[in-house]
Amino acid sequence: MTDLTVYASKAREWLETVAPLYGKDVRKGLSVEDDLALGRQYQNAKFKAGYAGINWPTEFGGQGLTHLEKVAFETEEMGFGMPISYFGISLGMPVPILIRFAEDKPWVKERVLAALKGEEIWCQMFSEPAAGSDLAGLRSRAEPDGNGWKLNGQKLWTSWAQYCDYGVIVVRTDPNALKHKGLTYFWVDMRAPGVEVRPIKLAAGGSHVNEVFFDDVRIEDSQRMSPVGGGFGVAMATLMIERYVATDSSGFGPPLELFIDLAKDCQINGKSALEDGRIRSAIARNHAMRVGLESITKRNFQLMQAGMEPGPEGSLNKLISVRSRQKLSEMAIDLQGNMGLEFDPSAHVKEDWSASWISAPTGRIAGGADEMLLNTIAEKILGLPQDYRPDKGVPFNQIPA
Amino acid sequence: MSILYDEGQLAIATESRRILDDKASTSDLLALLEQTGVYDRPFWETAIEQGWTALALPEEFGGLDLGLVELGLVAQATGAATAGAPFLTTCYGAGQAILQAGVKSVQERWLPALAAGEMIGACAFAEGNSPLPPQPMARYSGGRLSGVKDAVTGGLQADFAVIWAQGDSGPVLVLCELEGASRKAVDSFDNSRGYADLAFAGVPAVLLAEGGTAQSLAMDVLARMAVVTAHEQTGGAEALLHTARDYALTRRAFGQPIGAFQSVKHRIAELFAQVEIARANCIHAAAREGQPDFLEAAASARIAATQAYDIAARDCTQIHGGIGVTWEQGLHLHMRRARSLAIEQGNLFFWEDVLVGELSGARV
Repeated sequence: MTDLTVYASKAREWLETVAPLYGKDVRKGLSVEDDLALGRQYQNAKFKAGYAGINWPTEFGGQGLTHLEKVAFETEEMGFGMPISYFGISLGMPVPILIRFAEDKPWVKERVLAALKGEEIWCQMFSEPAAGSDLAGLRSRAEPDGNGWKLNGQKLWTSWAQYCDYGVIVVRTDPNALKHKGLTYFWVDMRAPGVEVRPIKLAAGGSHVNEVFFDDVRIEDSQRMSPVGGGFGVAMATLMIERYVATDSSGFGPPLELFIDLAKDCQINGKSALEDGRIRSAIARNHAMRVGLESITKRNFQLMQAGMEPGPEGSLNKLISVRSRQKLSEMAIDLQGNMGLEFDPSAHVKEDWSASWISAPTGRIAGGADEMLLNTIAEKILGLPQDYRPDKGVPFNQIPA
Repeated sequence: MSILYDEGQLAIATESRRILDDKASTSDLLALLEQTGVYDRPFWETAIEQGWTALALPEEFGGLDLGLVELGLVAQATGAATAGAPFLTTCYGAGQAILQAGVKSVQERWLPALAAGEMIGACAFAEGNSPLPPQPMARYSGGRLSGVKDAVTGGLQADFAVIWAQGDSGPVLVLCELEGASRKAVDSFDNSRGYADLAFAGVPAVLLAEGGTAQSLAMDVLARMAVVTAHEQTGGAEALLHTARDYALTRRAFGQPIGAFQSVKHRIAELFAQVEIARANCIHAAAREGQPDFLEAAASARIAATQAYDIAARDCTQIHGGIGVTWEQGLHLHMRRARSLAIEQGNLFFWEDVLVGELSGARV
């Protein structure tokens, strides 16, 4: 056994001991507020057990290990259905970027420890009504205000903002500059006067995303985390800082075994659905796709263990797995006929086909829409040119609307 | 566990690709299409010179004692080149059947000859549209074989074939020298594959396996050949991906390279995904050689690779527009090969059923 497999099996042992306290069974039927409270307890338990900030520097309360241990832990953790989603963005992007770019280190350490213990949560405010995939098209603005800044505008799709204490934000500070050049990056106190958070109810029924409005919000210059006009670079660094994360070939939906079990229980025209060629074909092709993604993940993990860069094909996982999950979920509902019409809004997305189906579109959009992922593959991996870009080389305020 | 290729394996991949690139001639391959029963002899001589025939056989029979991983890498290169002969796979399958059946005299008679490239072997399992019929029509009784095998890959040139037949009490695997069989070349859309209808009228044959052993051996040999073919399909699909990319970078329309249009670049990006999923499946399957889940891994690789090659053949041609459908440009070599390889070693229907059987605990 390698050190890493020992690490993973110890992690698994620990997870098994705490699963009865925080796992998917005890979470059933909890309100979001109660589930979040449970999540904070779990995060604190992770911190005490040495499973928080696994690959972060020890001087900031991390464990000082590598991304290999972090990915190994996340991979083990995934199956237990722990209440971790509230902290995923916080610990995945804003807090590590704070460690790298914020100046006041004692203050940073306080924040990092509070975040690792689940006491404080950070959000990441990039998207806006007019800037999603085209992030640099954002319009929220900060204007000089004495020795600090005054912030106005609106952010959108901000995950868990309603529960957040702090956030990082990228805003326009110079509308006369090229679109990528006029941006600056700050952290903000989500409780500051002028900040208003309004949850958005999504199609699936939940409200984990928000609109955030800023009305003359005062920001000190010490909250600036990039050079003035250098915000886009820090925004990109934010998206890349924890790029080694555990992946799931089922697209964060149900495992294929669940579909096979369903097919065994259902009939099509009087015969077992498992004997139906259409169902068999869907099972076989889904399995082949998942084996491929899992093999890519394992191979890349081995490459990292050998000290090499993982291959670019690792970027395929979300694109391929989530849309496959969407189609398979539709088929699973069809397979149940009239029995498939019943809907339980509190069902778990990895255990219920309707829950998986109705939230699948979010997965194909959040964190990079399918189309943007295809652009990235085409341009960065295959070297194909960018599409026609009339916004290039033009000051932001002269871009054709 | 999946594997990382070691230096020796990477060298096999680079070297086999380099050698085949040096000898590649689209016009020679096109000429083969218009002649029934002719194969690319220089390619096969190269394969023998390079020791590819010896690759996966044990040292005691003159082999190099390597396995599916290495043979797969060579097959990926032959797939990229749409090589003009099918014997790498057919000889491997025949050799594996002989090796695993364990009849010493048969091993000594055929394996060194296969390793040295002196003999060509084929596998004749399919009948009609069934890749491995539960009750084959070909009959084996009293040491003699009778019946018909349709469109056997490499059957036109093979010296012998391993044949799936009905014995006195259930299916058997037998080895039959083809001198005594009558062969009729099949005029195909992919003519260098040596397809031949074989007819046997009481031809002497040697028993390799019977009963449950014959069944599991035939399935294992078919799965092994399917993994080699999956590598070949992946190699073909990857070559098409690069061809499509290169064309999209150079061909201009409406004032820019067509690769700038998302309708084109997304098609190519999707192709990349198909190729990588097929490749990852191939690596996984080759690494599972001899393990209990090998059949499952082989079926999965076969499905992923068949899909990838079909999509690549379709989309690469589409991206080329008119030039893509000309005889001379030769993309149809891949289009044809994508279909012939999709059928050899069992079609998608067969492998989907095998895979679901493995996954649901109800083997077909």
